[in-house]
Amino acid sequence: MNLRPRNSLQARLSRSIAVGVTILWLAATLGTVLSLRHEMDEVFDSALQELAQRVLPLAYQEVLNRDTPGNDNRAAPVGEHDETLIYIVRDDRGTVLLRSHDADPAVFPDALLTGFQTTNQFRFYTVSAISDTLYVTAADPLAHRRAAIKQATRTMLWPLALLLPLSLLGVWLTVRLTLRPVVAFRDEIGARGLGNLAPVDGAALPEEISPLADAVNTLIARLRRALDAERGFTASSAHELRTPIAAALAQTQRLVAELPPGAILTRAQGIETGLKRLARLSSKLLELAKAEGAGLISETAQDLVPVFALVVADFNAGSRLWITIPPDPVLSVIDTDAFAVLARNLIENALTHGAEDEPVSAVLTDDRILIVTNGGPALDQATLNRLRKPFERASLAPGTGLGLGIAEAIAKGCGATFDLISPVQGQIDGFQVRVRLPDIAKNP
Amino acid sequence: MRVLLIEDDTLLGDAIRDQVTADGHAVDWVTRLGDARDHVAVASYDLILLDLMLPDGRGLDYLRARRAAGDVSPVIILTARDQISDRIAGLNAGADDYLVKPFDLEELSARLRAVARRYGGNPNPLLVIGNLQIDLAARTITPAGTRDARPILLTAREWALFEAFIQHPGALLSKSQLEDRLYAFGAEVESNTIEVYVSRLRKKLGSGVISTERGLGYRLGSV
Repeated sequence: MNLRPRNSLQARLSRSIAVGVTILWLAATLGTVLSLRHEMDEVFDSALQELAQRVLPLAYQEVLNRDTPGNDNRAAPVGEHDETLIYIVRDDRGTVLLRSHDADPAVFPDALLTGFQTTNQFRFYTVSAISDTLYVTAADPLAHRRAAIKQATRTMLWPLALLLPLSLLGVWLTVRLTLRPVVAFRDEIGARGLGNLAPVDGAALPEEISPLADAVNTLIARLRRALDAERGFTASSAHELRTPIAAALAQTQRLVAELPPGAILTRAQGIETGLKRLARLSSKLLELAKAEGAGLISETAQDLVPVFALVVADFNAGSRLWITIPPDPVLSVIDTDAFAVLARNLIENALTHGAEDEPVSAVLTDDRILIVTNGGPALDQATLNRLRKPFERASLAPGTGLGLGIAEAIAKGCGATFDLISPVQGQIDGFQVRVRLPDIAKNP
Repeated sequence: MRVLLIEDDTLLGDAIRDQVTADGHAVDWVTRLGDARDHVAVASYDLILLDLMLPDGRGLDYLRARRAAGDVSPVIILTARDQISDRIAGLNAGADDYLVKPFDLEELSARLRAVARRYGGNPNPLLVIGNLQIDLAARTITPAGTRDARPILLTAREWALFEAFIQHPGALLSKSQLEDRLYAFGAEVESNTIEVYVSRLRKKLGSGVISTERGLGYRLGSV
């Protein structure tokens, strides 16, 4: 049983939560940056406004105190420095009366409008005085603001870059811990053999998944009831069918024993032969019913050696049946009753259809291979294929023609391999059946 | 031997009883476990033939109870349950053999003899007593050391009586013990039946084959 998830819930949950957390973090960062930018713009604007308003009275004083009126006087720098904020003082005709030492009049707008203005490169604030005859315009390069925002964003993103993987690791660990009972539940179902019909333990499962365990247990219970019913039916039908046949056969045999020689005795012997054939056929049909049923796998691996020993002990084949039984246990999950039927049918088949003057060999190896070999002419592939079908025989020997079909049905049903080989390896004739029995439950 | 047959199917039970009787054994046939318990309480059986599915209980439980109580008399299970696990369970419960229905009555007779031999302390079916060679499995007696010797034929009753002595060599067997082995409950037994059969055995096998302990019983003698 392969229950490995093709699409891991753990991976999907981890991925989804990680993507969600990342998007949330990035959205929060974007919001913070936008808010920061707005706040910084306010601060810069305030500084710009403050500069213009402070420069205005000073500029007015400066213009009044000049000995000779002139244009474009530069304020001398107090020390060497990069001037970020610049200003320009103009009259109502746009004539530059004064400017800061780095201010380029060309970057200032020609229109003398009070308040804030923005171009691609600068943010301006203009204030006027003396009945709009003196204008002071302060300017702040937008690149300066952008650099500040970038710097602030970078400062925020660096810790985030560290925090985000940690958050994702936390998400993964949390998901893993949360799903641990689910994973344990999956592993328990995955590890159990097909024949294991014990209820699964769903006590630790979260509320959302525990109904699944209940459903699995309900199904297992139903399966167990169905298998028990099937086994019960097989046993009961065997009893109901075999007992009257046994009674009829026993009564007929008593009749044969008590009758004097003659026509009636011959007739009674005919009935006895017919009843024996009926007994064999009913027995085979019951075995076929079992072979095609579901109870071919046991819940745990069991030792096949004592079963094999009991089966071979039933054959009064004398020296014709050569048996090899391993000294150590041979464990397999095949149902022991099914194995007995399988082995018995193969040996019966070999004794019935094999060359009478050659031995039949029945070997159970310690690596769970049952090999039954008999003598006889080599069979071609078409004949081997035909033998697998019910009621087919390769020889004229008496038999129900069901033996190999029953054995193959059991082998398929329990996940064993079933090979018909002729001629036997290393020989020019003979017939061999090799059944490699399952050690663990596999899907048939 | 005295045999208790526990089988609820009347047709089958009837045929088995006739077969075992024809083999020279005394058979008491019951169809319920309750009746079996009553019989066992008042008679000693050399072998029990036990069906597993009976109207008033499971034969396997009855067998386990007998073994738990210390009973060691041989038991052959006769059942329609052919699964190897049932068979293992039967043998584990203390059965000596397990015969699946439908079976050949001759096979039943052979199993019965084999179990009896095992319990008689001599699982080997070939015995030599004096100048007699005895094959317990084939139920034949041949004079030893004689060329072209013809087997000595015994009737079923004669054989059953002789088998009782073979199974208890040297033991003194009372007349009532021997009657118990030959006749079932309710069978009419003539007062001199045992004497008649002992006389026949002496005539066929030799006068010394069975010795008489006057007033006490009989024991296997020398031939």
